[in-house]
Amino acid sequence: MAVTSDIAVTPEPEVITARRPAGALLRSSLRLWRTRIGVALVVLLVVVALFGPFFAPHGPTDFVGAPNTGPSDAARFGTDHIGQDVWSRFLWGGREVLGMAVAATAIGLILGGLIGLVAAYSRNILDDVLMRAMDVILAFPQIMLALVAIATVGPKTWLLVLTVGLTTMPRVARVARGAAQPIVERDFVAAAEALGVPRLRILVGEVMPNTLSPLLVEVNLRLTYSIGLIAGLAFLGFAPNPNGADWGFMIQENRLALVQQPWGVVLPVVAIALLTIGTGLVGDGIARAAVGIDRSRGGE
Amino acid sequence: MVDNPNPGAGLDLDRLSLSRRELLMGAGGVLLAGGLAACGGSGSSGSTGGGSAPAGTPKKGGNFRLGVTGGGAGDIVDGQSIVNKPDQARLIGSWETLLTYDEDYVLGTDGLAEEVDSSVPGQVDVRIRSGIEFHNGKTLTADDVIYSINRILDPKEGLFGAAGLGSVDPKNLKKMDANTVRVGLKQPDSTIPDQLGQYFNGIVPDGYERKNDLKWVGTGPYKIQSFSPGQQSVAVRNPNYWRPASEGPWFDQVTVTDFADAAAQVNALLGGQIDAITDLPFAQVDSAKSQGMEVLEGTGGGWLPICMAIDMDPFTDVRVRQAFRLMADRPALLEQALSGHGRVANDIFAPFDPCYSSDLPQREQDIDQAKSLLKAAGKEGMTVDLHTTNGAAGMVDSANVFAAQCKAAGVTVNVKNDPNYYGDQYLKLAFSVDFWGTRAFLPQVSLGSLPKPCPYNETHWPPKSGEGSDYVSLYQQALKETDPTKRCDIIHEMQKAEYDVGGYIIAFFNNLVDAHSPKVQGFKVSKATLNLDTFGHGFRTIWFA
Amino acid sequence: MKLGGIAGFVVRRLLLGLLVLGLVSIVVFAATQALPGDPARSILGRTATPASLKALRDQLGLGGSVLSQYFSWIGGLLHGDAGNSLAAQEPVTDLLGDKVVNSAFLVFCSGIISIPISVAIGSYAALRRDRTFDVSTSIATLVFAALPEFVVGVSLVVIFATTVFTGFLPAITIISPGARPWNDMTAMILPTATLVLAVTPYVVRIMRASMIEVLESDYVEMARLKGLPERTVIVRHALPNALGPTFQVIAINLAYLAGGVIVVEYVFNYAGIGGALRDAVSTQDLPVVQALAMLIAAVYVVLNLLADVATIIVTPRLRTRL
Repeated sequence: MAVTSDIAVTPEPEVITARRPAGALLRSSLRLWRTRIGVALVVLLVVVALFGPFFAPHGPTDFVGAPNTGPSDAARFGTDHIGQDVWSRFLWGGREVLGMAVAATAIGLILGGLIGLVAAYSRNILDDVLMRAMDVILAFPQIMLALVAIATVGPKTWLLVLTVGLTTMPRVARVARGAAQPIVERDFVAAAEALGVPRLRILVGEVMPNTLSPLLVEVNLRLTYSIGLIAGLAFLGFAPNPNGADWGFMIQENRLALVQQPWGVVLPVVAIALLTIGTGLVGDGIARAAVGIDRSRGGE
Repeated sequence: MVDNPNPGAGLDLDRLSLSRRELLMGAGGVLLAGGLAACGGSGSSGSTGGGSAPAGTPKKGGNFRLGVTGGGAGDIVDGQSIVNKPDQARLIGSWETLLTYDEDYVLGTDGLAEEVDSSVPGQVDVRIRSGIEFHNGKTLTADDVIYSINRILDPKEGLFGAAGLGSVDPKNLKKMDANTVRVGLKQPDSTIPDQLGQYFNGIVPDGYERKNDLKWVGTGPYKIQSFSPGQQSVAVRNPNYWRPASEGPWFDQVTVTDFADAAAQVNALLGGQIDAITDLPFAQVDSAKSQGMEVLEGTGGGWLPICMAIDMDPFTDVRVRQAFRLMADRPALLEQALSGHGRVANDIFAPFDPCYSSDLPQREQDIDQAKSLLKAAGKEGMTVDLHTTNGAAGMVDSANVFAAQCKAAGVTVNVKNDPNYYGDQYLKLAFSVDFWGTRAFLPQVSLGSLPKPCPYNETHWPPKSGEGSDYVSLYQQALKETDPTKRCDIIHEMQKAEYDVGGYIIAFFNNLVDAHSPKVQGFKVSKATLNLDTFGHGFRTIWFA
Repeated sequence: MKLGGIAGFVVRRLLLGLLVLGLVSIVVFAATQALPGDPARSILGRTATPASLKALRDQLGLGGSVLSQYFSWIGGLLHGDAGNSLAAQEPVTDLLGDKVVNSAFLVFCSGIISIPISVAIGSYAALRRDRTFDVSTSIATLVFAALPEFVVGVSLVVIFATTVFTGFLPAITIISPGARPWNDMTAMILPTATLVLAVTPYVVRIMRASMIEVLESDYVEMARLKGLPERTVIVRHALPNALGPTFQVIAINLAYLAGGVIVVEYVFNYAGIGGALRDAVSTQDLPVVQALAMLIAAVYVVLNLLADVATIIVTPRLRTRL
């Protein structure tokens, strides 16, 4: 396995060589400040997204005043482009973005992880076929494939989730395959095979646990991009719900009044930025911890 | 009004602000005549939009840069048609019509015709001014007028004017002399002079086609020099323009740039890269003013109806239609969907038509009444899908605001925003939002409220029985009626039926809101015409200070 | 022998690239043309007449089987005929020619700035690993990478063009038909800056990771153990091997820019393929969507191919493994 196209296109920033149980990795990564801050940010935003609606003074589509007015008693952060309460919509708006991004990332993780493992484990033509198929999807920038899909079907929630998930899949598959490959070549796998242990059990019991830590980093990274991508599509005017409270779409709806009533844009931008920074920090922390583990082990 | 991307390829009647006002007949006359308006006054002075800058003396020079949203790869240049909004600006600078409207919507002979005589039923005589030259040096004659009308009527061309000039008999266009054409009609039609003043019925040279050598040849103040769809067009001053030099044009060059995004368009204006824009987003009116831009707002007659198909469930029951009309809080819809830039409407259209029934009681929200009507119809707590699309600014917002208002009556309205709305489903939906430009009553009826071949009848009006079932025969009577008072009586009867049992919920008429840099002088606030004072009358009555 | 190895590798990668492009074309075709329902009707929408529907169906090649439609489309593409734009009724190639040049120039400007910056910062951060420079860069890149492109673009416009320093820089890029984007370089500043800010953090992180991998590799370790001065180790041993990753980084950078232009061109009204793609998507101008998807995919595949070949040629340790 010399250079294949595997190194190109998906540029996975951190080099993951740790083959430690994910639990230990998580614990050691939590010793790093960046991970703690990241976790705190993610938890904060997830709490806002999940429980925000219970604290919203108004419903997401209630009208509380004239459009684009500044903060007042009736509307803590002013009103949006059609006179809805920005604060309430902000509190309601995390569920959709987060839900879509998580669902898309989950699809990508499950399918990609599966394909990567199977490819690595099969070590034959199936490996080539699967990975070339992944190359095909990788030949598109994620946003472009999403746009092609929207051009024909329209911006439906399921379509966005599916497209983002499917374009995430090959990127995860590469990481999974890369992480599984050295394991597959180890003696204990051959030994288990010789003993007649079912291949599925070897895959699930032996190979998969060892790929969890690099996948953990990958998932964080992918979640970050999924959030940005979904918000970006909304910015281009392709959001699924016409008046859904959604951080990404809020930016699109209210950016025309940016100078006059900035809150409708500022709140969701800050939320998305903190969320992506948070997931990014967690991923970074785990990656660094993994490298650290390697290094200390190397020093033993 | 259109700050959104082009919703679909193809002709879009409603980007046109076909404004007009009942005109010649108003005075009881049927002859429109008069020499060239005395030179001094017309158009070269007057208040500018936003009202602050006094008009200076016009002077020549400069490149006027206009930004327009709503264009795309489908843009065209054609003396008699548009596809997207920027095409209006290109058409209006280079082609002219036989008759014109002034700022108060009075039809007059400030166009290519010096006299239009419709005093004999069944025919219209048009006499054009002599000595007008096209951009290629050819003199305008009766042959060009006949060719132009024939081209409009040619079904293969699919032009806008065809519907309005439907009573013209293409086989009966006679050249009386070099400057006079007698237009024969299949049946009497009092709206023909009106149609001759619609901006898209421009006069093109004999042999004109959208893609041949004459493609950019008109008589207008500017000659198109280059055009790139979805991007930009450049036109230069027509040195042989027929009006006296004191009436413009003043700019050396006019550049029309397409913008995909309203925010980019406003940024370009604020940053000084362009001099004027159409359709300033309502949200930016205040900030544009505070940053020194002048805002030009004309009282408009465009409308975004919420359409109930009267022959489709659940709207077959007139009580359900009435209930939905009573659920609408029209002032709130205006305030929230348009930031108040318009006027409250009353479920009937064509507000600038002198026959508009302004004495019908203003319908207001009445949730209790709506509930009891629904109860009587057995539809309490019903749920219905409302279809909409980003076809015009406010279409999606109107739907959302209306859906929220219906909650009060226990009705669940699910808004469906479908980019493919104008595809398979259009006109087959029970409940949808559409958009229309300003039009007089009868032309509007011919487009949206008659059985086939009327093209865009969303509400499947009129009903087969009961009130309104005589709508079609009333319409035909009105077309034939030359007495303005009697015609208005017929129109009032038609509007009463729409008001009582129709399928439209019309909450407001929207304004046109444009902005320009203070260095541009000469714009006038006008009621509802095309944007920017009909683009400064084809960029002719505006200049740089 | 070595050369043969490289030639063989290049040929293999070339064939693979072609295969990928072929599959890509199937994906694009399947996603756009093989729609349920009647594309002609949904395209014409409000203005559909029986005559125009028939004309459009003929033009779209909707007559035959899906397979024959595919082959007529791909055959046309190979002859440089991408069909007619539905919206403009003009050949797609005429419509997009200038826009391809405009976008390429935008990508070029952004690349020429962001590539050296990201390579330099990334390598230096790797060398100063876990020190202040590295830590602060990593935090800064994380924060910037988390900001969506449109947020960066809109903020730059507010600051430098419309509100804070009004008129200091052009808020949008107007490229007149026939003119070239380099005729007015001031209008290039903000879109280029936005793309640079969007792509640099991302690439810095990849570069840092690649450099660390090289620095930790056996041969660098070996060189150090031999007692060679650190300078020699880096210049003689680390850098040549880090060049390969650098090519990958350049390829990634350019590929990322090819996607990033979509949003940035929208913000700045830049007359390029990104804006054209967005326009075509919202008007369902499928021939244009297909042509642009194929073009961008081809750019991706070619960039990867070049990067792989370049990597293999400059990286001594990989060459020997062929």
